[in-house]
Amino acid sequence: MVQINLPKNSKVQKGNYYQDKTGSKNIRKANVYRWDPSNGENPRVDTYEVDMDNCPSKVLDILNKIKNEIDPSLAYRRSCAHGVCGSCAMNMDGKNGLACTKPHSEIEGDINIYPLPHLKVKKDLIGDLSGLYKQYESIEPWLKTNTKVETTEIIQSKKDRKKLDGAYECIMCACCSTSCPSYWWNGDKYLGPAVLLQAYRWIVDSRDDEKKERLKKVADELKLYRCHTIMNCTNACPKGLNPAKAIAELKKMLATS
Amino acid sequence: MENNNPLSPHIQIYRWHISSLVSISHRITGILNIVAITVICFWIASLLLGENSYELTNIFLKSIFGKFIIIGLTWSFSFQILSEIRHLIMDLGYGFELRTTKITGLIVIIGSFIMTVFIYLMGKQFI
Repeated sequence: MVQINLPKNSKVQKGNYYQDKTGSKNIRKANVYRWDPSNGENPRVDTYEVDMDNCPSKVLDILNKIKNEIDPSLAYRRSCAHGVCGSCAMNMDGKNGLACTKPHSEIEGDINIYPLPHLKVKKDLIGDLSGLYKQYESIEPWLKTNTKVETTEIIQSKKDRKKLDGAYECIMCACCSTSCPSYWWNGDKYLGPAVLLQAYRWIVDSRDDEKKERLKKVADELKLYRCHTIMNCTNACPKGLNPAKAIAELKKMLATS
Repeated sequence: MENNNPLSPHIQIYRWHISSLVSISHRITGILNIVAITVICFWIASLLLGENSYELTNIFLKSIFGKFIIIGLTWSFSFQILSEIRHLIMDLGYGFELRTTKITGLIVIIGSFIMTVFIYLMGKQFI
């Protein structure tokens, strides 16, 4: 069911204001979504004044600075800091992306940082992605082959390998799925762009022998056809991939098979 | 166990871009058009009830409010037609690059207004 408004316990309140203590002249404000599971209060947006003279170039650097120097209670996921692991996916300036690859110079005005949209928040900027992982598991993202011989490689031509370009690079950061309004309203049934891109990746793999079964699986109305080419997914993907096109290809395969 | 954790903000904070605007407008104009077709059917059906009732609708449609509705609906139909063509092309698997979606989206938005003016002028000539 489409619910435009946030539920009562999710309404965002005005939070604390942390004034700059370094005396820097180059200050930017970062508005960060906070929710503490321990006290039963509603989420709030805290504002931090950050000294930009001593801050590296990415949004993640701002968060690190806040955590290290201003407020150690801030919680967020991060790991590689090079756009490879996908841990620091969040909503910055109204658009999903990886905090470690998003330069803060691209953002005008205050820097608004929220968790990935329409997820159950675990704490602060950490959203619960278990639903998405379950859906990922449901498409069985591993090679299925009928060959009995397991001692030799399954050879793939360069042309067939090329089909995987643009699909295998996905790091499952969930930026795309959580940017999709269809996934917001029907996340329980619709697989969402991230998982469908992976489904596509196994369907076009020439080494896989279960193409037909896989296609049949995603053909169910809500699993695939909730995509209305809103293009939020492709617009959000920090790796420059195109889930919308992959979903369109899946639709085309189903229409022509 | 029910999860009482808050839901993170979604449509409240997500930034709009051309493709998402065209997509939502496509839905809204679609609903408007269904209503419009019903109204047009009633207008035509009112012919059967005689000259008077037809005149009544005519007077209403010639008023400023009526004209606003007609021009609005012309735009709504123009938008729907252009946006649908865009969707048909996308269904064929073309035009998914970010730049292309931006350009086609803009064509739909600007084109719908041009088409409205065009249809309006065409109608003027016939009258």
